[in-house]
Amino acid sequence: MTISHHATDETLMRYAAGALAAAPAVVVTAHLAGCPVCRARVGEYEALGGALLEGTEPTQMSATALNDTLAMLDDEDAAAPFAPPPLAPVEIEGVRLPDALRGCDIGRWRWIGPGMKMSRVGVPEDPEANLILLKVGPGRALPDHGHVGTEFTYIISGSFSDRFGTFRPGDLAEMDDDVEHQPVVDKDGECICLAALEGRMRFKNVIGRMLQPIFGI
Amino acid sequence: MNEVSSPVESDRKPGVKAGRRLAVVSSMDTGQAPSPDALVEMMAQVAQRRDRQAFALLFRYFGPRLKTFFLRWTPSSAAAEDLVQETMLTVWRKASYFDAGRAGVATWIFTIARNIRIDHLRRQRDPLSLQPEPDIAPETVEDGVLGAERDARVRSALTALSPEQQTIIRLSYFSEKSQTEIADELGIPLGTVKSRTRLAMNRLRALLEERS
Repeated sequence: MTISHHATDETLMRYAAGALAAAPAVVVTAHLAGCPVCRARVGEYEALGGALLEGTEPTQMSATALNDTLAMLDDEDAAAPFAPPPLAPVEIEGVRLPDALRGCDIGRWRWIGPGMKMSRVGVPEDPEANLILLKVGPGRALPDHGHVGTEFTYIISGSFSDRFGTFRPGDLAEMDDDVEHQPVVDKDGECICLAALEGRMRFKNVIGRMLQPIFGI
Repeated sequence: MNEVSSPVESDRKPGVKAGRRLAVVSSMDTGQAPSPDALVEMMAQVAQRRDRQAFALLFRYFGPRLKTFFLRWTPSSAAAEDLVQETMLTVWRKASYFDAGRAGVATWIFTIARNIRIDHLRRQRDPLSLQPEPDIAPETVEDGVLGAERDARVRSALTALSPEQQTIIRLSYFSEKSQTEIADELGIPLGTVKSRTRLAMNRLRALLEERS
């Protein structure tokens, strides 16, 4: 997988700090799995977190905190060691999806327009997360939408192009709200991607806008 | 140190180890931060010997700092201490997973605390959700990169930033505050916060590249 489109440093820093919202965090995790460059940067930002933690002003702990914790170590030692459950591949109707979606609630494909299907993805950390899978036919434009927050799109299969270039599997398209772009799926096949918006209410508007021309509402 | 029983004499390897540990203890007593190597040594004692004294040293050093970290996200002192305890118990439980070649101790503990905070958020939203174990190691650390080297590089880049830039980075790291709230806290316009954040990040990036 050759990656040509990456996450911004600001996003990677927020990811490392644990401050990125749940839905974008899933999309970034998917990208990191195939991108050693961004993984290395997240590693640096995690180290920055460590340095900031050490440099932070200490706050007095209660007098019993240490002994309370020490008293619990026996229980810790007695507890059965953690055995991770077997990891089943994540898929939707036979299509393998990124491991980053493990634990997410993946809905069925729903028709949202000619050559266009969508599946809403539930994220356990955040019931209101705005995360969707999109499947768009060859040669078709992705739904025309302005968006209010940053939009994160990870390409699972196929490819699309806009004025920023061609986005292929493994790439991450990170678009600020002030960016005008009209991605069109390349002609050689359908494109499946995972898309998230930051923020809550905004995505409803976007879906509204996506559905508007389709249903004439 | 009186609330922690000393390790049993026969349990202690003669010579170097004991002396080194004493050195670690005395540096803590004088209020100096332990060196990265001293922290790694404490983790090794915890992992290999289940050494409670070493654990207590780590707790004394990181506990109050972790409390500050968690107080950024919860106003309650008791809740913050619960999260500190959860973090430190995870450190005890997962000590054998700590790999000094992958990350320094502070970095490793930071990622545990970060994951516990994210997990805590999930529990608040959905109390019945099944709890997966927090991640052990920063899954993102690159193979072949020496954790200690990288941590030292990052530390040096951070201290090379101006105090204002360090504050901006710290605030964007350790708080749920939006840039608007940061602007209020610092008493500067929002546009200025945005441009200063970008500048601080670019400067940090450049310093990191210089040192790689």
